[in-house]
Amino acid sequence: MFQNFLFYIGTGTVVTIGVTLVALPMGFVLGLLFALLHIYGGKALTRLMTLYSTVMRGIPPIVLLFIIYFIIAGSINISAFWAGSISLGIVSSGYQMEIFRGALLSVGSGQMMAARAIGMSRWLSVRYVVLPQAFRLAIPPWSNEASIVLKDSSLVYALGVTEILRRAQQLSATTQQPFLAFGTAALIYFILVFTTNRLLDVLERRTRIPAHP
Amino acid sequence: MKRFLTTVLLIFVFAASLTACGPKKPADHFEAIKQAGTIKVGTSADYPPFEYVDSSGNKIGFDIDLMQEIATRMGVKLEWVDMPFDSLIAAVQEGKIDASISAFNYSEERDQMIDFTDAYYLSEDAYIVSDGFAGQFASPEDIAGYKVAVQTGTTQDSWLTENLVDTGKLPEENLFRYDRADQAALDLKNGRIDVWMADYVPGQALVDQLGGLKVAYKGVLSSGPMNIIIPNGDAALAAEMNKIIQALQDEGFIEKLAIKFIGGVQ
Repeated sequence: MFQNFLFYIGTGTVVTIGVTLVALPMGFVLGLLFALLHIYGGKALTRLMTLYSTVMRGIPPIVLLFIIYFIIAGSINISAFWAGSISLGIVSSGYQMEIFRGALLSVGSGQMMAARAIGMSRWLSVRYVVLPQAFRLAIPPWSNEASIVLKDSSLVYALGVTEILRRAQQLSATTQQPFLAFGTAALIYFILVFTTNRLLDVLERRTRIPAHP
Repeated sequence: MKRFLTTVLLIFVFAASLTACGPKKPADHFEAIKQAGTIKVGTSADYPPFEYVDSSGNKIGFDIDLMQEIATRMGVKLEWVDMPFDSLIAAVQEGKIDASISAFNYSEERDQMIDFTDAYYLSEDAYIVSDGFAGQFASPEDIAGYKVAVQTGTTQDSWLTENLVDTGKLPEENLFRYDRADQAALDLKNGRIDVWMADYVPGQALVDQLGGLKVAYKGVLSSGPMNIIIPNGDAALAAEMNKIIQALQDEGFIEKLAIKFIGGVQ
């Protein structure tokens, strides 16, 4: 019985990973872009980006997911999987923007000054001096966000994407064994998140500067 | 740098504001399905015996087999889209799915949002209680004195809300709405609620499976004809499906399905 559970719910894992692999990089690209716009754009851009971040982080993800999903899916004819994943990516970009903003601002201002002093343009300084250093600093909070997006991928069940949670619900409805069904789902999620965090820990260690706290 | 970033942002905003075509017109819908060769049907596969999954994850049930036969006779492939029950009507309205079969009962409220095919089954409501329940239901409104459970978005939900909650007979806090039928059944077993108003057939199935429950009342209150739902105004698809449903009734196919999944015909 448990093996059957594991198999059926396990096949939903592919969908869950798929949703995460669309949403997380999308949030990364948007978040990084908006963070750069916020710090290095003009006053108007800064205010616009602050507004974006405040709104995205001020509304529960599932509410935002529904709103964005119905906007996207209402205008373009794409599958629930893509619409849901893209919506999740947009939601995540609000949080990732704050992560990158924090990381970029943590790089000592001396770095920027020195880069400018030797004649690099603002764009070159950011691209080759500040950003690489910020990348290292962003890993711990980013691994946090990665876990969150992986777990929030379960929210797309409400949009018609049959991933781990929805499969657990179906099995629970059929077999009347909610503990076994949702326990299996919990186990799978835990393994996914644990593995992701471990991999990011390895990355953090690889990019650590020796003798740097 | 600032100008570059502003330009990037403007391009981004422009791209994001591009919207494509709106919802398909009903007249084209049936043709579009035939051209695509596939019909996307939504269901909520957590409702035995109408639609559920076996332990390997295959969809099984009365509605599942029926829709498969209808699709075969329409000459198209069937693609199932599973989602929570209360998302299905919105999905049909938005055109995300072509139709939905999920033990839908007819209601005027729903008729305004989507269209119904002819009935393929007649269902009843039931009040499910635990074995030790001592109350009597002389009339259906007697349920107002207890803690009541119902599945969200069902016709039972509307019936209870209109007839009992809005008239003040049943206090709002005594009505508990659940996303799925099995959640209501389990809470009933735990004693968190007194009565569960459900479709009779799935209710009886859960009574048999869980044990410790019984059906205290049976009758046609909110239910009645069970139909497939399709987008509003889609006369072509309705006509095609109705033709097939009629044929299946005449051939005894539906009766055989009823015996297989429900253990009898109504």
